[in-house]
Amino acid sequence: MTDKTITPREITFRVRRYDPDVDTVPHFDEYRMHVHDGMTVLEALHQIKAEKEPTLAWRSSCRMGVCGSCGMFINHLPMLACQTQVLHLDSDVVTIAPLPNYENVKDLVPNLEPLIEKHAAIKPFIIHTNSKEIDEPTGEFLQSVKERESISQFTHCIKCGLCLAACPTVATDPLFLGPQALAQAYRYTADNRDCGLHGRLEAIDIFHGPYQCHLAGACSQACPKGVDPAFAIQLLKRTLVLDSIGFGKKKSSLAKVMPLADVVKAIEEFAPPPRTVK
Amino acid sequence: MRETRLWSLHILVLPIIAVLLGAHFAVMHYAPVFYGMSVEKAREFSTMIERGKSITQLVLYILLLAAGLYHGMYGVRGIIRELPLTPTLAKLVDVGIIAFGLFIFALGTYVTWWTYSYKIGG
Repeated sequence: MTDKTITPREITFRVRRYDPDVDTVPHFDEYRMHVHDGMTVLEALHQIKAEKEPTLAWRSSCRMGVCGSCGMFINHLPMLACQTQVLHLDSDVVTIAPLPNYENVKDLVPNLEPLIEKHAAIKPFIIHTNSKEIDEPTGEFLQSVKERESISQFTHCIKCGLCLAACPTVATDPLFLGPQALAQAYRYTADNRDCGLHGRLEAIDIFHGPYQCHLAGACSQACPKGVDPAFAIQLLKRTLVLDSIGFGKKKSSLAKVMPLADVVKAIEEFAPPPRTVK
Repeated sequence: MRETRLWSLHILVLPIIAVLLGAHFAVMHYAPVFYGMSVEKAREFSTMIERGKSITQLVLYILLLAAGLYHGMYGVRGIIRELPLTPTLAKLVDVGIIAFGLFIFALGTYVTWWTYSYKIGG
């Protein structure tokens, strides 16, 4: 990045506006303001709202790329507004629009209901088949470092919905489960503590499931947390194919149970060192 | 049936298509290379009938027909079903694709059998 690009200067923000009570079609309003080094798009929006346009609507919360609320279409790419520095966009005009592939509620607010519904449909939780162990636990379900690492990146999903906004298949097939839900389906199915693959088949082994992925890879590029949903979809396909021919991984809810007495012992072993300062 | 099985079959028939289509090309389009026969001669009715009387050809062509049709029909279904369809319409598309595929398979099989059982000279 050249020094010129991070030189504080005047930037024009083209913000898409839409109020369903007033507008029949969306339109763009322009706001010109001074941008300093390090200023994020979210901060710029706050400044526009405070100084120029108090009715401007968007969704945001944590301001540090954790909650996934402020997903927007910034210069024609889905990004988190709080993680995107204006001067790093290397453009004197910054266009901000709501995420595509979602219904537009108002201004920059997308309706994320389809994302949540698809996520919920794949049963995003550990499913045990050993109900006796659930009701009367005798120990803890263990997960080795290797087992954890095999699914680690997929656990980082913050449900921001950028991957669905980037996905060309979702654009043409709204029923496609999408990279977020499919990656999470793999995340839970591949978890060594989970025995719920067959409970998820109804939701994922369908026409609008993993086989509709066109391998564009846009989801993996858009993910602000470094998750690779496109890869997860391929791994999910492998899991489903192996299961369909009877070569799926056999899991047991009992296999990894550590007796509670050993758990207490293990906790004691990992106890922090004694205090050195009183 | 699970979509996984339908999709897996659609991938699994690919090597069958590749081999049998290769054989078809060798017989029909590359006859001068493989059989020392002109393409025109390879396409003549009498040559076709002569070839068609082989049981190997009968079996392989029916297999190629089945594999090609399945792969093609699954692909067409994928394109059509990607359109925003109601569940009823999606079901209709599935049924229509199966019916059309079976009809073409029956027609192709009939032609292949007709060639196999054709009596030269009446």
